[in-house]
Amino acid sequence: MTSEPGTGASASTAVSPAKADMLGQDNYLRIENMRKDFDGFVAVDDVSLSIRRGEIFALLGASGCGKSTLLRLLAGFERPSAGRIELDGQDLAGMPPYERPVNMMFQSYALFPHMSAADNIAFGLRQDGLRGAELKSRVEEMLNLVHMESMARRKPHQLSGGQQQRVALARSLAKSPKLLLLDEPMGALDKKLRSEMQLEVVNIIERLGVTCVMVTHDQEEAMTMAHRIAVMNSGRILQVGAPDEVYEQPASRFTAEFIGSVNLIEGKIEDDEPDHVTIRCEALPEPIWVGHGQTGYAGMEVVFALRPEKLVLSKERPEHPRNCFRATVEDIAYFGSHSVYHLRLPSGIKLLAHTANARRWASEQFTWNDEVWISWDDLAGVVLTS
Amino acid sequence: MKALALRLLPHPRWAAIAIPLAWMTVFFAIPFAIVLKISFAESAIAMPPYTSLLEWTEKGVQITLNFRNYLFLLTDSLYVAAYLGSLKIAVISTFLCLLIGYPMAYAIARMDPATRNVALMLVVLPSWTSFLIRIYAWIGILKDNGLFNNLLMSMGVIDQPLAILHTPVAVYIGIVYAYLPFMILPLYSNLVKLDPRHEEAAYDLGARPWRVFLSITLPMTVAGIIAGSMLVMIPVVGEFVIPELLGGPRTLMIGRVLWNEFFNNRDWPVASAVAIVMLVLLIVPIMIFHHYQSKGLEKRLA
Repeated sequence: MTSEPGTGASASTAVSPAKADMLGQDNYLRIENMRKDFDGFVAVDDVSLSIRRGEIFALLGASGCGKSTLLRLLAGFERPSAGRIELDGQDLAGMPPYERPVNMMFQSYALFPHMSAADNIAFGLRQDGLRGAELKSRVEEMLNLVHMESMARRKPHQLSGGQQQRVALARSLAKSPKLLLLDEPMGALDKKLRSEMQLEVVNIIERLGVTCVMVTHDQEEAMTMAHRIAVMNSGRILQVGAPDEVYEQPASRFTAEFIGSVNLIEGKIEDDEPDHVTIRCEALPEPIWVGHGQTGYAGMEVVFALRPEKLVLSKERPEHPRNCFRATVEDIAYFGSHSVYHLRLPSGIKLLAHTANARRWASEQFTWNDEVWISWDDLAGVVLTS
Repeated sequence: MKALALRLLPHPRWAAIAIPLAWMTVFFAIPFAIVLKISFAESAIAMPPYTSLLEWTEKGVQITLNFRNYLFLLTDSLYVAAYLGSLKIAVISTFLCLLIGYPMAYAIARMDPATRNVALMLVVLPSWTSFLIRIYAWIGILKDNGLFNNLLMSMGVIDQPLAILHTPVAVYIGIVYAYLPFMILPLYSNLVKLDPRHEEAAYDLGARPWRVFLSITLPMTVAGIIAGSMLVMIPVVGEFVIPELLGGPRTLMIGRVLWNEFFNNRDWPVASAVAIVMLVLLIVPIMIFHHYQSKGLEKRLA
């Protein structure tokens, strides 16, 4: 987490007091200097993380960024090249997967095709020596948890994608693991079912209070499900924070571009005052006015990152004295709930603006080739130095 | 008019069935019918050496079915013993093939694709040499002053050569050697499709390696085990060359009996009856195989 001095009041410290209360102690799961290479290719590069008890933590990144390898290291399917993992005070190094108090829900679930839903759930419990009535009641409890009582005797191929996922979740929770791993949990579901299951899975996990590390390439999924997100790229963790922090206060150009869409404007710091800075950009006729201080120096090259929904469109020049520019509407993408405007500035750079269609027919206000004013608030953007 | 013409023409799917149907008729159904016919005839000194089933009399056609050949097979203990001997050798060598072939197929399926192809090639490569030559080579290896005995004696493990050739042991060695690829290939194609995540899931849920193999890997590859076992067992029951070359007089297999009836005794009707009974004995395992195969197919289509 980057906490630059004077970042402004809204985006502040790591976790707000309310969230801190909700979560348990720090350092429940500790990953220290974890490193994994495969024949010279470094998949996980010196990763250190600390995850709290009861937290849902998402590793977010594009494919090949090392997030899945990190998950497999936690499960014990891969041996680390260096580093250590400690779970609830217990060192997991050298412990084979079948001895770890860690259970995983696999991508595409890996349900045992020759066993019924109930037998899939019972498999892990049987390995612990559970038999008879005790086993039966625990399996029933898990089936109830995921609302699959009526499907207990079905084989996986007789279940729909969503039902398979419920069984897979129940199977991975049956042994009450200290750590639950989810590998692309919604990857095999279609879009509509996905948003339903995301909330349901989170509700189940939170109800049981299980600590959970999930891996996903889908930022919406990470933002919906996780308490905190770690953005990964080429084996390294770039930023860790709550979903809103990662979105509103990206620490680097990569995070800003990876999560959501963003307008990036390159420039140099002109005035460096304690309460504001201005950025001179070649693409803009006037410098950008940023309403907070910035560690740096005059002449430092920076990138100004502005989320498209923070950009305001108007027909008349707004009252606002700063950060107002002329632009032409080049393209419009209408999404119903909001519209995306592709704008071209006189200098030739293109910017995106998202406008919520709060009123009916609001989208008819602007059309192709309209000359418009664009503006943004003094605190709307983020100054990126890396 | 046009609709009628279309209805009279054979449906296009008949074209797809016609070729295998013709093949099966010419190379299976007709020869089978001939053999069946001969098995009901009586041996005769004639050309061909059996009586005709159909006799033209003044009243019409008279059909004489002669079941004596089949009764003879039951009464003479030689045939029953030969059938049992064949089945015993087939079952044991299938089991040995499975025991050796499963780990090999598993290892090949878990290799990376480049080495996997080389390994598969090595499994198939011996078949490029004539089957007969390879079995002959085993005589050279197993005989009293052969490669194997000489090696053991020069190492000082034994001072008398082991009598292996012309014993059942030599037959088992030959059969397992010759039929191992037929076990490995179907097992491999089954194992390579097995998603390793299923095994990982079992490890993850606390199962130790041996447990994972017994309750996940093995049940998930039943189809491959059955296919491989059928491919080995069915031809081994009728095997003639290997027991003839490597086996001794005590190795009684139905293939040899059949050969003797045809070429030494020139009793075609009894030989045909032997062949028909063997076929019936083999049809049972083929049906089981077929049943499992179609069940597997249904599951995949579901």
